[in-house]
This record gives sequence, C-alpha cells and structure tokens, in this order.
Amino acid sequence: MLASTSKTIYRPTVHRVLPRFISSSTPEEWDVVIVGGGPAGLALASALGSSKLVRESLRVSLVEASDLSKVHEWSPVAGTFSNRASSLTHKSQAFLKDIRAWEHVDEGRTCPIQDMQVWDGISDARIEFSASLLGTPGHGMARMTENLNLQRGLLRHLANIPQVQILDKSRVQSIDLAEGSSWPLVRLDNGRVLRSRLLVGADGFNSPVRSFAKISSFGWAYDTQAIVSTMNHPPRGAFMGPNTTAYQRFLPTGPIAFLPISPMASSLVWSTKPPLATALIASGPDVLGYMINAAFRLPDVSMRYLHNLILDAHESGSPVTPPQIQTEIAWRERSHGIEETSAYASAFIDATKQGIPPADAESLPPIVTSLQPGTVASFPLRFNHTDSYLGDGQGGRTVLVGDAAHTVHPLAGQGLNLGLADVECLSRCIQDALAHGGDVGSRTALLPYAQERYLENHKIMSVMDKLHKLYSTSFEPVVWARSVGLEVVNEFDSVKTALMMEASGQNGRGTSVWDVTAKVVENFAATTDAVRIIGTGVSGMFGAGIQSILKASSTSSRK
Amino acid sequence: MLIISSLKIFRPTCSRVVASSRYSTSTVNPAEIAHFSRLSSQWWDEAGEFSFLHQMNPVRGRFIREKLLEVARDEQPALSEPSSSLLKGLDVLDVGCGGGLLSESLARLGAKTLGVDASEANISIAKLHAAQDPGLSSSTTLSYLHTPAEVLLSDTKRYDVVCSMEVLEHVDNPPAFLDTCAQLVKPGGHLFLSTISRTALAYFLTIFMAEDVLRKVARGTHTHAKFVTPEELTAFFRAYPKTGSPWVDAGRGPPTRTQAEVRGLVYNPLGARWILAPRGAWGAAECNYIFWVRKPPSQN
Repeated sequence: MLASTSKTIYRPTVHRVLPRFISSSTPEEWDVVIVGGGPAGLALASALGSSKLVRESLRVSLVEASDLSKVHEWSPVAGTFSNRASSLTHKSQAFLKDIRAWEHVDEGRTCPIQDMQVWDGISDARIEFSASLLGTPGHGMARMTENLNLQRGLLRHLANIPQVQILDKSRVQSIDLAEGSSWPLVRLDNGRVLRSRLLVGADGFNSPVRSFAKISSFGWAYDTQAIVSTMNHPPRGAFMGPNTTAYQRFLPTGPIAFLPISPMASSLVWSTKPPLATALIASGPDVLGYMINAAFRLPDVSMRYLHNLILDAHESGSPVTPPQIQTEIAWRERSHGIEETSAYASAFIDATKQGIPPADAESLPPIVTSLQPGTVASFPLRFNHTDSYLGDGQGGRTVLVGDAAHTVHPLAGQGLNLGLADVECLSRCIQDALAHGGDVGSRTALLPYAQERYLENHKIMSVMDKLHKLYSTSFEPVVWARSVGLEVVNEFDSVKTALMMEASGQNGRGTSVWDVTAKVVENFAATTDAVRIIGTGVSGMFGAGIQSILKASSTSSRK
Repeated sequence: MLIISSLKIFRPTCSRVVASSRYSTSTVNPAEIAHFSRLSSQWWDEAGEFSFLHQMNPVRGRFIREKLLEVARDEQPALSEPSSSLLKGLDVLDVGCGGGLLSESLARLGAKTLGVDASEANISIAKLHAAQDPGLSSSTTLSYLHTPAEVLLSDTKRYDVVCSMEVLEHVDNPPAFLDTCAQLVKPGGHLFLSTISRTALAYFLTIFMAEDVLRKVARGTHTHAKFVTPEELTAFFRAYPKTGSPWVDAGRGPPTRTQAEVRGLVYNPLGARWILAPRGAWGAAECNYIFWVRKPPSQN
C-alpha cells in the first residue's frame, strides 16, 4: 500500500524535474511582472505601456492563467449584456482616457447614470441625486460599463503596445526567491521562469503574490450573498426620461440595486441573506423577476412574507411557481391598497403597453419582464483589507493592487474604481521613480503608493461597511434616524450640492454618486451609532445629525 | 567569492590607484570609516539604519536634474529635453558613495558613474548590490573604486558632475576635501554637496532626536562640531581658488543662481519623506541642506 502510493507520487516528479531544471537555470529578466489579467492588472499594463519613459526603460509582462484571446474577441449579441458591470466614476474614466485605453472601449455598450434614487425599505425615506447639480451635463455621475467591455478595450489598447508582453494561458506555479538575492522568481506551468525587479499582485482575493510576500490581511464575510443578473425591461415611455436613473432600495435583508446599462436592459445587484439567495435562484428566473419587481415596490412586511414563502417552498423541495408568486404578490398589493394602475403594482402589469405613466413612475425602476438567459449568478460578500500593500524582507519587491489588496462590499460598485485608483497611483509612482533613476522595485519607490492609497481605500471601505450595518437593521430609532437624515438632506439642494462637490473634488475629477451617498450616510452612521447607545435620545440625535451635515457643507464650501 | 566575481564586472576605470599609504595625507577620518564599515551591511535595508538616506535619495536626484536642466536652459533656451535624459553620457563622480544609493540612481539615468568610498566594506556592498541588478551589471555605466578622493587627482580624468552627499560632515579637513572635489570638476562642470548645518536645530534633530531619542540613526554617526553652515560653504567658494577669479562672486547675501545655490532639505515625519525647500525659503537650510556650485567654464 505504502509502496504503491509512493510510486504514484514519484512518477510525475520524474517527468517534471527535467524541464524545470533546464528552465530554472535560465530565468528571464523582467522589470515588472504583473500577475493577473483582470481589469486592474490589464489597466496597470496599459498605463505603464502608455508611458514613453516606461516603454524605453522597463521590460513589462503580464501573466494570466486563462486564455485572454477569448476576452479580446468577445463579441456579444446586440442587446445582451454581461452580468458583471461596474459604475465607473469620472476619476476612473479620466484615468482610462488619459492612458488612451478608453477609446478602445465600446462606449455604445455603456450608459451614463444621470440620476440616482436611494430609499429606505422600512420608512421609504428617500434621497435623490442628479448629475445636473454637478454641472456635468451629458456625462452623468458615473458610467455603467461591463467589466468585459473594459477588459477587451484594455487588451485592444495593449495590442498596440508590443513592448508590454502578455503571457496568457500561463499559470503561476510557484514564486520563490532567486538564490542569494532578494529578487522574486515567478515559475510558470509552461516552464518559463521570470526574475522580476517588481512583482505586482493583481491576482484577486486569493492572491498567490500576497501569499508569497506573507502579507496578512484582516476582514470578515458578511452574512450576505449578492445575486447579479441582466434584466430586460421595456424602454421608458415618451413621457418619461431615458433609462439613466439608478435605483437602490435598502431592505433589512440587504440593498437591491437597479443599474441602467441600455434603454432596455439593466444590471441587478441584490444583496440578501445566503439561504434566501439560494432559494430565490433555485426558484428560476421567472420567479426571481417577479420578486425583483416586488422588492422595489412592496412594503417591508410583505417582502418578509414573500421571503418566508420562498424559503419554505425551497426547503420543502417544491419551489414556488411563477403563477403562484404572481398571485401572492397581487394579493399583497391589494391588501396594501395598491391599485392595479399604480406605479407600485407589478404582479399583473403588461409592461409592454405604452401609455401615460402612472404617478410616481419615475420613483421606481421600469418593470422587469425577463432576465437574460444565463446571467443569474451569485457570490458571497466580504470585507478584506491587507495589512500592507508592500512586501517586506524576504517578500520585498512585491506590491498589491485591486482585489488582492482589498475586497470591498459591492454596495456602491466601488471595487473596480478603487482598483483603478490603485493602478493610476502605482503607475505614477513607477514613472516618478524612473524619472530620478530610482529602482522601481525598491521600497523607496513604492512607499508613496502605499501611503497614498492605503488610508484612502480604508476610508471608503469603512463607509461601505458602515452603510451595510446601518441598513441591515430594523431597530426603530436607527430606522428613524437614517430616514430623517435622508429626508433632511433631500430637502436642501444646497447641502446636497455641497456634499456632491466635496465628494467630487475641487476640479470635479472624482465625482461618483456613490461617493456622495457614502458621504451622506457616513454622517448618519455616526449619529445612529449614538442612537443605538442612547436608545431614545431622539431629539439630541436630530440636532447632531443636522450639525454634522452643516459641518460637512461648511468644510466643503471653505475648500 | 562573490566580491571577486563582481569585481570582474566592475572593471575600475581609474588605472592608477595609489597604495593606501597615501591615506595619511587624505581627509579621511579612520574612526569615521570604521563606523560606516560596521554599518555597511545595512546600506540596502530601506526600512533600517539608512532609511533616512533612502528617502532623501529621490530628492537629491531631483535637485541634480533640476539644476542641470536650469543651466542647460540658460545656455540653450530652446531645449526641450526631459530632465531625466540630461545626465546621459556625462562623467559623474560620487565621492563617499557608501552603499551606492545615489550612484545607482545616476547610472540608471545614463551617467557614466564612478562611485568611490574610503571604506572597503562599503564598496563591497555597493558592488554586490549592483551585481544583482541586471540593468546595472550588464551595462558599463557604473563602476566602484575603494579609494579616498585625493588619489583620483593623480589621474588626469575630470568629471562633468561631482557629487558628495552627506560626506562633508564626516571628513577631517573640510577645506582640503572641498579643494579635492573642486579640482575633480571639469571646467563648466557641477559640484553638488549635501550636508548638515552647524545650528542648535541641527544638533536637536540629527543628534539628540535621531540618534539619542528615536534611535533611528546609529549613535556616533554625527559630531556637531564637524557640521558646516551654508554660509561657510558659500564663503569658501567666494575665495576659491586662491589665484584667479573665484567660483562665486565676492559679496554678502546669497550667491546668484547661476553660480551657486543652497536649498534646504526638510524631513516631514508624518509623510516619512523629504521635501526640497523652495529657493530662499526662510529657515529651511537650518539643518539638512543641499549645495550646488559651478566651476567657471573658463577655469582649468
């Protein structure tokens, strides 16, 4: 028994030893090796490749396990959209334009977010943001872009930069140190060995580069699963604005977001409890479609009822059928006094019928008629931040960007934006180091990157985390506080503009609707924390809420 | 073993190295050399003993490039070269190169760089470190030599740029050392020095705080009495050379920007980085400063 096991172990090593031995004797010299061909890795390769100084002085390569030609040749059927889309902020877009990668992104497949509506699932307190407040007409607050569209654009851009080599279909087998030196050796499964002055981990949450550099991280999994999908819906009627409004409703189980990507399709991100997510997906796309419509419209008490219904049916092994859920929703609508012509009715509405839209139609997303086949997916939400972005000692000459460094609650679609901001900063630091003759793999060259990005990312991640916690409660004083806060801010356009301006930066570079919401809610989070302690100290809280808002507006107007 | 093999890569450019008996006539202080030899292994620990120097390095490099660019623009106003390519092909000497922090940067910018140091251990470390870097070991732009600067005078080779960073405060006879550095500069060439001013603030920051309280720098690294003020440096070049026209015109107050310049280097502990103070910033050169002077083009 023992002999046979050792035999099976022994055999493959014999085959592997020879090519490895040959290859390890001739490591290739590289200045920058980027591990990971996701949006962050490709953006870094593009950013470096777009600099003349870098092209002339550095050898850059990108290693990716999958076949990137599939992304490069991605040609989706018109009208269908990938379920992974992100709201790119102005800052991210400006960076992509600056490195001349944006011109390779199919802008026809993207959609500006002109307005945004966020409301509380329990109190229905609502805040509305409009890009017109920012004075950037036509550009919106952010731009919904499929990740694949961005990745393809970056690959097309990189196709014009032969100096940056893309080694796809190459898996990183191991990373170790070159003997007697502090330079990392990246061993690929095809036998190539890359000796690297600077090793960049753009390799996602389970980053091998991070493991090599022994950078620890802290974080937690939220008890939350995000369902994503691409939703079909009829275009907005003639009496309404175009489909450029993002909607987000905070239910106690998690937020549900509707993000426009074309006149007749939008992106769904529905964060909810994991068992519920499983049951919803198992019920099939038709039931899920009805539930999405209801989740934006029905009062919380009915949503809880429907959730239980779906959970029970799933557990009993006979999932809810579409007619069943339709009848249930219709019954809940009647019990709440929602008339069939109301904007809040969705169960038996023929959404394709055009006419004069009911009142409040623009407060709600269009009625979803179907989900695009194969787009329903889900993933767990987590919060994770590494202790450092730079490797140290034996793990020196390594740096982390994007999800390898931080995983954020996608509440506000900030993940990709944070990653692109990392990339922009890192590529700037590399170019600075080159300009003064620095070693781009040295701590001295990379320290400004860590100094600039770590705190910034942590700030935004903390706000996302607070938002999640703030809105996942139905504790009355907290609900009251957050709804009063939203209502108060919504009443004051000047305060709202000030908040948006502050979030957008003086020159309007960093505008993001999400930054703004985060800013607003950050203030409430502080006050509601107090509420949680005091329990009933409502009047004092109210004063503090106003105070913090006014303080925020006065600091931003001082700028 | 390693040192020997790296020696092959860094063939000394200076063929006439005089034996160490000449040390007695040099400005090298044996105690100082012993001090830095002990610390030599830590030269490239960027978070360790020499972290301040690592952080200062980009700022020093920036000042060198900016000053060369300024002079080049004065002479050819239409110049559109980026400042990073200005050093390409120039003969540069780094006196007291230590572990080679500045020498490596200068070589990467394309300068034909020679780093010299009176400590053999420093030179070994510098060579060893550069040998690991394929960008430096495969090119011929960087070489190191274990010698005091005075020995180089016996060779006829002179340099477009002579740098001596954080060295002046460690030598025994500053005027003699400055004279050596000045002689090694080609006519019209540049001399860059960075050092610490002899002020109460400098004592407080560089000795009391850095060495005694925070222990960021090894004790005994600095001696307050050996610090040189910017005024003393300027005064030296107002009277240098003894015969012929001086490098800096006589007078009081700061020198004209085409002849010499003093800029403060201020450490920002919060950002953990050095800042190059603007020209003439009040009080900025009270502690660390960088000094530039140009040899008149007509002088040999």
